[in-house]
Amino acid sequence: MKKNTDFLSSSLSRRSFLAATGAFGTAMCIAPHASVSSDGSVLVLRSYSDLQVLDPAFRLSLPEEDIIRSIFAPLVVPQAGDVWGWNAIAAEAIEQLDELTVSFKLHDNIGFTDGYGQMTAEDVKFSLERIADPALESPYAGDWGALREVEVKDRLSGLIHLKNEFVPLWSTTLPTPASCVLSKKAMEELGDKITTKPVAQSGQYLLADWQPKQKTILKRNPDWSHTPGGFEEIHIIPIEDPATAERGFEAGDLDYTWVAVPSIPRLKENPPENSVLLEKPSLAYVWLGINQDVPPFDNPNIRRAVQHAIDRQVVVDAAYFGAASVGNGIIAPGLPGSRDSVTYDYDPDKARALLEQEGVSDLDVTLDILNQSERLAAAQVIQAYLAEVGINCEIKQNDSGTFWTLGSKDGDYWNKLQMLLQRYSMQPDPSWATVWFTPEQVGVWNWERFNNEEYKSLHDQGLVESDLAERDRIYRRMQELMDESGCYVFLTHEVVGAVHRNTIVPGLKPNGESLFSEFRPA
Amino acid sequence: MLYYTLNRLALALVIVSVVMLLLFSMIYLIPGDPAAVALGPRATEAMREALRVKIGLDQPIWVQFWNFFTSAWTGDLGREVLSDRPVAAVVLEQLPFTMALIFSGVGWSVALGIPLGCWAAVKRNSLADHIVGVISVAVIAVPSFVVAIYALLLFAVTLRWLPAIGAGESGNFFDQLVHLILPSLAVGIGWVGYIARMVRASMLESMGAQHVRTARAFGLPESRIVYQYALKIAILPTITLLGVGIGQMLSSAVFAEIVFARPGVGKLVYDAILTRNYPLVTGTVLVTTVLFVLINLLADLIVGMLDPRVRSGL
Repeated sequence: MKKNTDFLSSSLSRRSFLAATGAFGTAMCIAPHASVSSDGSVLVLRSYSDLQVLDPAFRLSLPEEDIIRSIFAPLVVPQAGDVWGWNAIAAEAIEQLDELTVSFKLHDNIGFTDGYGQMTAEDVKFSLERIADPALESPYAGDWGALREVEVKDRLSGLIHLKNEFVPLWSTTLPTPASCVLSKKAMEELGDKITTKPVAQSGQYLLADWQPKQKTILKRNPDWSHTPGGFEEIHIIPIEDPATAERGFEAGDLDYTWVAVPSIPRLKENPPENSVLLEKPSLAYVWLGINQDVPPFDNPNIRRAVQHAIDRQVVVDAAYFGAASVGNGIIAPGLPGSRDSVTYDYDPDKARALLEQEGVSDLDVTLDILNQSERLAAAQVIQAYLAEVGINCEIKQNDSGTFWTLGSKDGDYWNKLQMLLQRYSMQPDPSWATVWFTPEQVGVWNWERFNNEEYKSLHDQGLVESDLAERDRIYRRMQELMDESGCYVFLTHEVVGAVHRNTIVPGLKPNGESLFSEFRPA
Repeated sequence: MLYYTLNRLALALVIVSVVMLLLFSMIYLIPGDPAAVALGPRATEAMREALRVKIGLDQPIWVQFWNFFTSAWTGDLGREVLSDRPVAAVVLEQLPFTMALIFSGVGWSVALGIPLGCWAAVKRNSLADHIVGVISVAVIAVPSFVVAIYALLLFAVTLRWLPAIGAGESGNFFDQLVHLILPSLAVGIGWVGYIARMVRASMLESMGAQHVRTARAFGLPESRIVYQYALKIAILPTITLLGVGIGQMLSSAVFAEIVFARPGVGKLVYDAILTRNYPLVTGTVLVTTVLFVLINLLADLIVGMLDPRVRSGL
């Protein structure tokens, strides 16, 4: 026992401890921390969530979509840049023959890993029809809702037959993981959905390692014989909190990250060393929603009074520190149906007159919001404007788990929900924005309970109308109907901010969403 | 000692059971639908209902609780809602990161707190004692997430000496150690103050004990009296305090894991609560509760072993 004690005391003396600590500290000072990507072969990115499901039919988040597209070659992918479009990946050729038919021909040399052979038209048929199959119960079945069948012409060619004309096919179905081609053989052997262990990968990158809550590592596919990925490895770090990600970037641990919109002015003014700040127009839309089925807002004039009571510019400036501009509807600029104005204006006198006309004074209402700083800032400004016209507004903050159930018809809070600050996002087709406000969505995602048959009919027309001018008219009219209902005060489409090292060129969709496989060294 | 151990074990089992009952009641009282979160906005009501049935949410709460409790005894904590992976595997993947964080935090608090406490006791009522007192209270008062953010801004963002995010490359011990420095400091710094105060108070008491006075009368060197006789007695309440402290550090670990984007059970359970991933919440909390109870049990047993008065007090 004594011997052991002596041993300990001799090896861990105060002098040796201090020496070791000093050496460690000196080493840390001499070799400041550097990003993993300093040699240019590894790209380190932030994603806002960890992967959970790698099945194209059951994906849950955008980062998963990006990984899925990188490891399971899709027929087409969204084009990186400022214009919405697509690039063929697995398809050597793909074109619309008529309103109901799309032909495709695969590249001749795309292989699946794990010994599942070459990709064929039979795999395309399996993959597309699998998502559409009601028996699979994929939440994305609607992407291929217009699919009648995929006809295999030969080993690499086939025809996609549609039941009806489907305009969003080239904007929001094909350039998504809904066109990823899985190995029929591998999936039949698996007999279930793909979770976090991919089978038979075929993309520009391969999933090399997944360390839960830590990182996902993609490695360049050595057997991919077309345009190769830009980096040997992509390390995807899941960081939910944007402020943490910003600090990670500033500390040199990340090469690319989205940033919170309120951080954009700060980063513009004081950009991190060797970095580039990007601002991209977002497809998101943020609005103040008013539940038309709950008193006092079952009175349309009181809803209209709220519309006139709020200066939207001031709300948006306060919430986003001037980084975002005011939005005028649910359809983002650049898409058919996008508007330059709304049909109501900021007019507090008119708001007071409407309230007086209805014999209402000292109204007490509630405003439910998600507990995020920009939402709270916006809510507080709205609260102040409403107070000016005699409406006392109580702000109720909710965590995300609670917030996303507030308007559900399954619960009972929807008949107490009066106003809410809401934000949805969309794909680059206006139907993706309008779909949530149809009568079928009342109590599902239509929490204002806006119920208008003309709106529903126009939504259905928009899905099959290919004339751009007519589509524009249809979607503008739909938003006018939303204005007229008094249920909506449209606030902003936000803006997407991102920072990246000047040593890389990020691959981004026009709305700033990332395309991992399109990132390149500068 | 056997009776003492059995008594403590029985108490531990009761605590775990009560915690699980309370937790189960609480998570079902807050609104939220794991099926809606798991399947996303495009799922139909039929799909959501099918998932609710699959994960047993259609059952009465007491049936769900009974099923969970009986399965938990066999090590089956259910399956995660989103990825359908076994909860036990998910928790065990994350647990080592949190344990490393907490024990490093304990390391900071012991390595700094005990010497500071001893020094303050030896230099009682001197300027050094007052400085240690002020520092101790200051680090206790500052929340761990504030320490975390400032440490990160200084050492990672401004000086770039240390990494800001992550847990380091797997398999690279040095890298993992470097990634631990800031988060563990944030978690452990408050406990430096607690331990320094506790050690100082205990030391002052034990310095006046008869055996210490006798040692001094025999002319033994002061350093030997302090470290070999006084500290040995004074350290006992610190061991008990550390048992409780580890539970507190588990809470601080949630902030540290979020601020430093580290994996770990704190962040796991935080995310699980936000997504109403009930099996993961219950599984994670069960594991951490068991861990906390075991650590406290261990602390009690160590104190019982070192101090016969504790055993005889039974």
